[in-house]
Amino acid sequence: MRKTTCTRLLFRAFVCAVLTLLATSCLPKPPAEGGDITVTLYGFSIMKESLEKAIFPGFSSKWKEQHGQEVRFQSSFAGSETITNQILRGAPAEIAILSIERDAQRLKESGFVTSDWHSYPAKGIVNRTPFVIIVRRGNPKGIHDFSDLAAPGVKLIHPDPISSGGAQWSILAIYGSELRKSGGEPGEADTVRAMQTLKAIWKNVISTPGSAREARTTFELGNGDALITYELDALLMKEANAAIEIVTPKATIFSEHPAVVIDKNVGGNKRQLVDAFMQYLWSDEAQQAFVKFHFYSTTNDAFNQANTQLAHIETPFTIEAFGGWDKAYPEVIEKVFRDQVQRK
Amino acid sequence: MVKASEQLIHDSETSQTNADSRPPAASVVGLSKRFGKTSVLENISFDVAEGEVLVLLGASGSGKTTILRIIAGLEQPLKGKVILQGKDVTDLPARERGVGVIFQSYALFPKMNVEKNIGYGLRIRKRRRKEIRETVDELVKLVQLEEHRKKYPSQLSGGQQQRVAIARTLAYNPEVLLFDEPFGALDTGTRSRLRRDIRALLKKVKVPSIFITHDQEEALELGDRVAVLNKGHIEQIGTPYEIYSHPATEYVASFLGAANILEGVVRRDFVELGAAHIPITLDEGKFEQGARVKIVFRPEDVVLSRRDLLLPGQTRISPAVIEEVIFVGAYERIRLRLERNGGESIMATRLKPDPSGTRLHAGDRVVVAITSFTVLASQMNPDDTKN
Amino acid sequence: MRHVRGFDVVRPLSIGMLVFMMLPLVFLPLASIFIFGTSNGLDKFWGALTQPEAIFALKLSMATSFWATLFNVIFGLFASYVLSRYNFWGRNALIVTISLPTAIPTAVAGFALLLLWGPYGTLGRLLAPHGVQLMFTAGAIILANIFVTFPLAFGVIKPVFDTMSRSLEEASATIGATRWQTFWHVTLPSLRGAIVSGALLTFARAVGEFGSTILVSGNLAGKTQTAPLYIFAKFNEGQIEAANAIAIVLALFSFLIFSVLFFARDWLDVD
Repeated sequence: MRKTTCTRLLFRAFVCAVLTLLATSCLPKPPAEGGDITVTLYGFSIMKESLEKAIFPGFSSKWKEQHGQEVRFQSSFAGSETITNQILRGAPAEIAILSIERDAQRLKESGFVTSDWHSYPAKGIVNRTPFVIIVRRGNPKGIHDFSDLAAPGVKLIHPDPISSGGAQWSILAIYGSELRKSGGEPGEADTVRAMQTLKAIWKNVISTPGSAREARTTFELGNGDALITYELDALLMKEANAAIEIVTPKATIFSEHPAVVIDKNVGGNKRQLVDAFMQYLWSDEAQQAFVKFHFYSTTNDAFNQANTQLAHIETPFTIEAFGGWDKAYPEVIEKVFRDQVQRK
Repeated sequence: MVKASEQLIHDSETSQTNADSRPPAASVVGLSKRFGKTSVLENISFDVAEGEVLVLLGASGSGKTTILRIIAGLEQPLKGKVILQGKDVTDLPARERGVGVIFQSYALFPKMNVEKNIGYGLRIRKRRRKEIRETVDELVKLVQLEEHRKKYPSQLSGGQQQRVAIARTLAYNPEVLLFDEPFGALDTGTRSRLRRDIRALLKKVKVPSIFITHDQEEALELGDRVAVLNKGHIEQIGTPYEIYSHPATEYVASFLGAANILEGVVRRDFVELGAAHIPITLDEGKFEQGARVKIVFRPEDVVLSRRDLLLPGQTRISPAVIEEVIFVGAYERIRLRLERNGGESIMATRLKPDPSGTRLHAGDRVVVAITSFTVLASQMNPDDTKN
Repeated sequence: MRHVRGFDVVRPLSIGMLVFMMLPLVFLPLASIFIFGTSNGLDKFWGALTQPEAIFALKLSMATSFWATLFNVIFGLFASYVLSRYNFWGRNALIVTISLPTAIPTAVAGFALLLLWGPYGTLGRLLAPHGVQLMFTAGAIILANIFVTFPLAFGVIKPVFDTMSRSLEEASATIGATRWQTFWHVTLPSLRGAIVSGALLTFARAVGEFGSTILVSGNLAGKTQTAPLYIFAKFNEGQIEAANAIAIVLALFSFLIFSVLFFARDWLDVD
């Protein structure tokens, strides 16, 4: 058992590594520590930039002016359904901004949300954005509307409706758009044809990532010919000089994003702060910031003019066209999509 | 003739008495042990005197290892006591008994070098560093391993490892040393050399020792006394001479070397062996007239005579025919068939004859006589032996 | 294939085939991480690495893996001792149970922990009133790591225990050592190699853990986001270079660990 010099050296290096490891083994302090008070916000995937870059700093400086306290935000972003599930299992969120009203309802039903978010401005909707189609530069597959996505040979990226609120908006966009085409309001329209178009489109889906953001990244990496997503994400991609084109369908849905307070997790001492932040979301400053990040304001349509990139939708509709989420979810997402389209 | 041998026996008895007058260094009393339903040891009792080397000799399965482990405290007996230096240690755990065990595999600690192995016993007793160093130096010198003191067990030969094992136990002054088949793993050359070295060493340090082995030659060479074990009980304890020349049972007789056994009948002052009469007076309490007995004698105690001319001290047995003569280097081994009712085959050995001496060949007719023998009851009861 | 005298064609052929098979399965994916991570220039790579959240994620991964490893090695030692030395009813069932965590998908493990310790979980709800919140903290990550890597150190240490000669321990006992002294001076040194390789294995596995961590940690950037979680988050945001930068660090780190395991193996399994 001669100890060769090589082994000796390796042993020394190893010991050093172990010692360094021990030195850092105490759990690290979070960076940017120094905030007096923290607010934890869970948001659905595409909210990240606008919140982190504009809303959080904007509110913090306001609060500091008024109260002299440093507010630090802790945030986590994922698909809307995913974060709802996390909160239901005990994630320490104090505020949640969700993609679909239904998720807010779920939180209310489980007792995590006790106050009524509809009492906030714009019925609790923070911002909105229409659903558009993203294709590769040059539009080689010639997509001009949702129905074109049903053509054979078109490969579609679509987030998973189970975890992503955006996926559900997308389905409603497709379905609703087809109904519009075949005549007037839904109810009078050709539901069968709309369902068949949805089915044909779904056959072309090659990947169902967990959130709208993940779907975007998958598309960016070169997968698929088309992606249905929030317009704002499409605009962000364009800003980053991605080789894409945005196809604005004739008729499409505007997604509406509610913000709720997770009353169960908000301690008495935080109440004032949380309420102030919620109010801030509908302040002119915040709404204008959202527009800068390619959202549509819900308080003042005039703000939307400031962003020239926002598309003009010919025939927009909202969830109201379906009679609200209470009706839309069981009738469209469950009955049409899950039971008929997804069934092989 | 008879007087001389009586003297010998008297001497051995005296030595026994001397040992008895001082309390024994170690003793076991009435040990018995069972594994499941099988009885492995039955009523084992013996003593080891100060400075004595006792050998437990037996075949595998005879229970000798179990006895050792019970003395060491590695196993508990079903019944019986272990007494070391007058203290009953039966209920004490191994580490409180102060025994030194040399395992068959030596069990040296592989991650410690020779010095560290030897010093282990003192280190765990929290002795001062100086004391440890001095003791280790002393012991390394004693077992002559000075050039190897920094080496690790894997770098040592079998014999060297054994010496380290011994030194390791001596470091903490044990009451008794226990050797478990210490020479098993070595080749014959090393074995005999080591036997002598170990015996010399043991005599020097004067620690009482118990060896276990299955090799009778080893037992005879090593032991001051030897205990022969058979299937869990002791057949005989005695000096090497005693058990070899006066075996108490047929088992002991055949275990310790080749033995010729002939059947005879007790008469008034001789034993009738066919046509031969062996003059011997037996204790009537033990041997009734007419009882069947066995005459046991060693091949080297056989004398062959062409012309039926016997010297005093040689007892005639029977004429015989030589069947085979085998030359085994230092001596000849001769197989003969007795010309008598039984027609038994016996073995004789004689030293290599000088060139001028008589040569024996197969087919020769000779007369067989013996110079020494033991009488055993046919049921193998020990007997007071007289020559 | 005609056998040409003096030339064994099977040798280069099989070696070549081995390398060829490993190319698409192992080499290329690994290489692509390195290539992609640095393709935008080293300054961007460094920039991504020095983000405070990135550094925090790496440190958090190291720290949580360290504690999980420490616990599992000590437990592995203890369990090996008991299960190797003592025979008792249910022993084999215990051994199998210890090995179970590797068979369970990590997401299931995370979920199970949440169900148990989450603020509304079976046991968690008993702790919550006292202000004890186990989940969504660094502690939760350590718990999840312990579960997922549970049998690794044990699996490496126990075989050494099994084959270790009892006579060493018996010798130590007869020399006069207490059980603890025997364990410390005799048993442990013989286990040195197994302990080190078990620890390294556990650590490497814990650092890379994802499925359970993402569930129990709450994935709060800068607070409970480990390196793998960070990579995933950056990927989702479309910041591929940042994700790759950290991925490269993790890959290099694992490479280092396994090199040590390999090159020091002589030292590690002595005797």
